Amino acid sequence: MSRKIIQIDMNRVEGDVDFQLELEGSRIVDARCVGSLYRGFEQILLGRKPMDALVMTPRICGICGTAQLNAAVLALEHLARLPVPPAAMRIRNLCLMAETVQSDLRQSFLFFTADFCHPKYRSLPLYDKARAAFLPFQGEIYRGALEHSRHIVEIIALFGGQWPHSSYMVPGGVTTPASSRHLIDGLSLLNKLTRWFEKSVIGTPLDDWLALQSADEFFDWLEAGEAHADSAIGLLTRMSREIGLHRLGCGTPHMISYGAYDDPEDVENFSPYRKRLFKAGFLNGDAGSIEPFDQNEITEHVRYSWFLPYPGGRHPFQGQTVPDYQPHSDRYTWCKAPRYRDKVVQTGPLADALIDGEPLIHALYRAEGGNAWLRQFARLHRTARLLKAMSQLLHELAAHPGEPHILPPADKEIPDGEGFGLVTAARGALGHWLQVRDGVISRYQVITPTAWNASPKDSEGRHGHWESSLIGLTVEDPDDPVEIGHIIRSHDPCLVCTVHLLDTGKRLTVWP
Amino acid sequence: MTALLWLQTGSCGGDTMSMLCADSPSLEDLVDEYGIEVLWQPSLSMEPMKKLDVLIEAILADRQALDVLCIEGSIITGPDGSGMYDPYRGRSKMSLVRELVEKAEYVVAMGTCAAYGGVHAAPPNPTDCLGLQFDKKNPGGLLPIEWRSRKGLPVINISGCPAHPNAMTKTLAMLASGLPVELDHLNRPKAFFNTMVHQGCTRIEYHEYDVEDAEFGNKACLFFNLGCQGPMTVAICNTELWNGRSSKTRAGVPCFGCTSPDFPLDHDLFRTEKIGEVPVHLPLDVARSNYMAYKSLAHEAAPLRVLNKKMDP
Repeated sequence: MSRKIIQIDMNRVEGDVDFQLELEGSRIVDARCVGSLYRGFEQILLGRKPMDALVMTPRICGICGTAQLNAAVLALEHLARLPVPPAAMRIRNLCLMAETVQSDLRQSFLFFTADFCHPKYRSLPLYDKARAAFLPFQGEIYRGALEHSRHIVEIIALFGGQWPHSSYMVPGGVTTPASSRHLIDGLSLLNKLTRWFEKSVIGTPLDDWLALQSADEFFDWLEAGEAHADSAIGLLTRMSREIGLHRLGCGTPHMISYGAYDDPEDVENFSPYRKRLFKAGFLNGDAGSIEPFDQNEITEHVRYSWFLPYPGGRHPFQGQTVPDYQPHSDRYTWCKAPRYRDKVVQTGPLADALIDGEPLIHALYRAEGGNAWLRQFARLHRTARLLKAMSQLLHELAAHPGEPHILPPADKEIPDGEGFGLVTAARGALGHWLQVRDGVISRYQVITPTAWNASPKDSEGRHGHWESSLIGLTVEDPDDPVEIGHIIRSHDPCLVCTVHLLDTGKRLTVWP
Repeated sequence: MTALLWLQTGSCGGDTMSMLCADSPSLEDLVDEYGIEVLWQPSLSMEPMKKLDVLIEAILADRQALDVLCIEGSIITGPDGSGMYDPYRGRSKMSLVRELVEKAEYVVAMGTCAAYGGVHAAPPNPTDCLGLQFDKKNPGGLLPIEWRSRKGLPVINISGCPAHPNAMTKTLAMLASGLPVELDHLNRPKAFFNTMVHQGCTRIEYHEYDVEDAEFGNKACLFFNLGCQGPMTVAICNTELWNGRSSKTRAGVPCFGCTSPDFPLDHDLFRTEKIGEVPVHLPLDVARSNYMAYKSLAHEAAPLRVLNKKMDP
């Protein structure tokens, strides 16, 4: 079998990661996902005051700092058993949703669809339309996404002062109430984005589009006129399917979701036992069933990671993050390998929608599986749902004027103990596990969504989700394997990826 | 045309995300109206990363002009001085940056990480981070303090965690239009770093009369009890609002001093250290005895609308 070495490099993602892929003929037979940047956040948090996590952890990620802040505050509230008033939950949810809409628009139209402008697709009938829509800095949708993603985070600035990186969620609530001025500002910002979304992204009124519930209804909609077919989501779907992305990049069949957005009606329960607006669960890909989620079932392995080794997997409360950089060993990444019930799982908007029981995504999944197109489609479908949910939240806040936005904790110090905060960030399941001893942080473990998806092999040698979504893929033109770019970007990697293919035995790269 | 190359080192991508929020001018304006040609930006460039290799090669061989080099992120020098916690193509980004800066007309540090080390350099600084020309507040980072770019300027530090969106785009617009950029003692453009954060804060009337909050979620000043560093920090947060809307202090979040070289401070970020009733760290350049006299008088003079916190911030 002939072996080839090529190099594919990716940008338009967040952070740093390499892919090392082994090709046999034109088929990928092995894949290693390499998180190459080490920043040491978990070490920096040790010995600090617990509240400092609200300042430090948003800086883990420039695109999902609000979700990091939420995970940190939920962990503190869990530890200290603090109640949160409904208005605070609504304001938190509104800001989390605004951040996710921002991220999904940028991921879709600044990062993902630009690939459709690749010269390789010059001969496709949709090419000119795709370029007119998606070309960086020039395409109509690209420019619309730049503008509208910029404005939607103004909603976060109304309550948090700024985006990115604020610390307005504090134990017991939020720092600013929803004044009538904020609510009207929030609504006008939301309405402006919603009108653009309806006109340019779905070509349909929001409620009508959200009413599509089956695969047939969706494909009938797609063909019912130019406004649908040439909408951003119409073009994205037609280009993806012409290229075959609806048959590629499925990865592991198991999925998790922590559920999203604390239910403000549930005032009985404290985090993490509060009900959520979007359900948590584990989709067991072997049985096809959705089972209850239990964070006790999470472990992290370091067999193939550059951390001080320990056998098997450990729950984050027993977690250990001691760097042990061994570039010339068989260990290959700064990511740990998280497992749920000892299974390789994926997380993200597709997992969230399936576990929540969203009918259209479920129907499309049953028809064709969890492919690269559906993963991307699920992300934009979520945007539509969130725009509707944000409008509802603003109206609920308006219906409860003057309700408290914070219940200041009686004790100003966070007591010793442990707590965790599990949230759904734009890229999926995000968890913080916190232990406090003698008034300071004694352990802080973070599992980001990308840690789940970009996982290396575990102690048993089982590949992570991205790795397995590439293994078996046939690369048509190894000198320009653009399909790999589509697949990796469909996962919304929060890492800057380089993908390079290796010769067996002899590791060849183009750099020294 | 002004050729611009943007590299990310040890970063969260927050300065890029922040810059996407700029509106005066916006990123599109820089391209459309100021003739900035983005040779490379990791989040935005359409071409594959191979283009970056080619570009770097051409720049280093003086075949491609590099007018502005933007660096986002801490310079990671670990482990053991190798820089390999942050690699690029089997070498360290640290060494790549060291070569590229010599070719640039201007070098701009986008954010506190690139300027001074930032959050990654917080104790115990596990990856041995530095800024480009400073190590926290100490002169000399990756580059010695006397280093100058081809146009004779030190690294221009647009500090902030993240940097303010419009401070970034305005600085780039100034460079592209040949406007002078005057720097302060920490090499930050004075245009954005000569006002205190609390100048323009909507809680200032409370501050003036010494009416201070002791818990979060309220309306008064955050300086005396809740860790706010607004009176000691220079930045435009309250004179050119974030996302065109607000600022942390307006929203009841303390200023954490994120434009300062020693951000993040290594003590409790949500509590003000005090000697008796008065903070250890006073507003910039104020003498303690004068300040104590002024504050006790101020509180006596406070009107009821302030004392009773009747005013929304």
